[in-house]
Amino acid sequence: MEEKKSNGMSRRDTIKALATLPVLGYFGYAYNANLLKIEEAKAQDYLERLKIDKIEVSEEKLSPPTGNSGNRIRFGVVGNGWRGEQLLKSLGYVHPDYVEDSSENGIPDKGMQKFLDQEDLNVEFAAVCDTFEVHTRRGVEISANDLRPFGKKRDPKPAKVFSSYKEMIASDDIDAIIIATADHTHAQIAIEAAKAGKHIYLEKPMTHSIEEAVELRKVIKDTGVVFQLGHQNRQQMSFKIANELYEKGVFGDVSMVQVYTNRNTDFGAWIRDDAFDHKLGNKDNINWEEFLGNVPLCEFDRKKYFSWQRYSEFGTSITGNDLSHQFECMNQVLKLGIPETVVALGGQYYYKHHGDMPDVFNAVFNYPERGLTMTYDGNLKNDAYRPSRILGSAGTVDVDRAILMYKDSHSDRYKDIILDPSDPFYYYAPDDDVDAISSATSQVYMKGGYGPTTIDGKTVEATLLHLKEWVDAIRGQGKPSCDIEAGFEEAVTFNLANLAYEHKKVVTWDKVNEKAIIG
Amino acid sequence: MRKHNQYSEYSNWQVSALVILRVLIGWHFLYEGVVKVLNPHWSAAGFLNASQGPFANLFKGMASNSGVLEVINFCNQWGLVLIGLSLIVGLLSRWASIGGMVLLFLYYISNPPFIGIEASAVAEGSYLIVNKNLIELFSLLVLYLFPTGNIIGLNRLFASRK
Repeated sequence: MEEKKSNGMSRRDTIKALATLPVLGYFGYAYNANLLKIEEAKAQDYLERLKIDKIEVSEEKLSPPTGNSGNRIRFGVVGNGWRGEQLLKSLGYVHPDYVEDSSENGIPDKGMQKFLDQEDLNVEFAAVCDTFEVHTRRGVEISANDLRPFGKKRDPKPAKVFSSYKEMIASDDIDAIIIATADHTHAQIAIEAAKAGKHIYLEKPMTHSIEEAVELRKVIKDTGVVFQLGHQNRQQMSFKIANELYEKGVFGDVSMVQVYTNRNTDFGAWIRDDAFDHKLGNKDNINWEEFLGNVPLCEFDRKKYFSWQRYSEFGTSITGNDLSHQFECMNQVLKLGIPETVVALGGQYYYKHHGDMPDVFNAVFNYPERGLTMTYDGNLKNDAYRPSRILGSAGTVDVDRAILMYKDSHSDRYKDIILDPSDPFYYYAPDDDVDAISSATSQVYMKGGYGPTTIDGKTVEATLLHLKEWVDAIRGQGKPSCDIEAGFEEAVTFNLANLAYEHKKVVTWDKVNEKAIIG
Repeated sequence: MRKHNQYSEYSNWQVSALVILRVLIGWHFLYEGVVKVLNPHWSAAGFLNASQGPFANLFKGMASNSGVLEVINFCNQWGLVLIGLSLIVGLLSRWASIGGMVLLFLYYISNPPFIGIEASAVAEGSYLIVNKNLIELFSLLVLYLFPTGNIIGLNRLFASRK
């Protein structure tokens, strides 16, 4: 019989009563140890995690304005369509209609306020040339509008109208030219402009053919004019950071690059029948011959004129329209250059009533010297968003305006870092105050690569930065980032894919003779 | 021959098994609770909004009202902690078993693996009618019907005084 204590409890009772209490102690210990480990992983500096010292481009500053009263640049616009007007806005010119639509009772809306606050590049919209009278007239109205960034201009001088780009190039009224015409005229206008000593901002894609790209590059180099190709994503901070991370080995060996076009609308398929001004176009107000340029004369066709992208004699197919963007971004990040061989398949299966553009298109670009391939899936009948993806031995990286990197579970570089493979390893998004590893619930930020970018703590339109870079370079400050060499790589790459599609054969790039070899 | 515990009809093996089950479930509740209490951003809203089945609207309704949600968050977090503690130390663990069953029942019916209801994002396995919540719920019923707090647990201190 056990001895009972005064309170009626034996020692055995006490032990049994308290027997499970040590579990609580162990719980506390395990909880703490686990928490510390998790917190430690979270708090780990992302640079340390990426095993780099710093990301230099994040510290990039906006370059100061270069304009002064003595170096105003007069520019002419050839092709004042929707893209032409976007470029004009970045250059500080908007249509009076826009001003009216963007303010209520004299109070500017957000977009308008941004326009008013944007940097004045100290340029003058001096001349306009368009094959469509409505566009020409709008150009003049834009130039005469006195609402400019940082207050009103006193004497807006209407832009001079030229009926042909040749006359505009030959005139002394402009120092520089902005070309935003149909693709088939890019090379001829740019070549003639360079020969006349005009600096060139050329909308993408660079040229309609490889031969044109070879010729244009030669002329640009010979004449020394400042040339910028209109891939404004050169200014996107995400691509700059991705490039630095890649060069510092953060992605490991890159074996595959995947780029996409994901669209599912008529407009997305470059069918422009319903654009606001296209109903106004007819044989009498469209200069069809000037539009045709080097294309053999044929009957006026409004469909062809407004949806020219879809006709191979004018446009450059889904590849020139969109792959060129995706490739250019990846070329910026990875310095891909020109592929050695290209195959492409697909067809025009859905939008059969306009032109000959394929709407389902796959291409593979092989870079044996780099040990990688790039694949392109272009789909105009499905808009599931797929960002460009870089597959590296150390991780998988989605890049558009943002960067989302997942560590590879067999990565040597990061084998010491314990992380759930489904957790983002590195995350960058513009508009966020810092680059940081976040839970990345915000994939939504990733969508759309063409908007504003973040630099120097400010949010700036990428197109404005791209034009500024060109304008500054004309004034001798810095140089354009999408120069003729980058443009050459872009033009050759997508044109190789077009040749492969057209001939249903493997196309090889003969880099010595700078020619495509078909079959 | 069966060795019986002096306070009960259970064999020592039976007591051990029951106590271990009690402590394990207690641990599970306690950890779930502590994690939520110490995470200032935790809210039941995500769970409630993912609700499916016949009571989905009721649970989603709870999530949509911030006042109600606050009460739910508080009760859930601290309910889990207290039930967990109680089960581990064996104090008032029959009451804790009832409380735990109530919570588990709510979790169960907010996302019931009923016929025709697709697995929700919250579920980590494949279940049909029976899921782990239901099993844990009935495990607590067993603990309620076969209490051990008086044998191994703080309840013994009070039981001994009688």
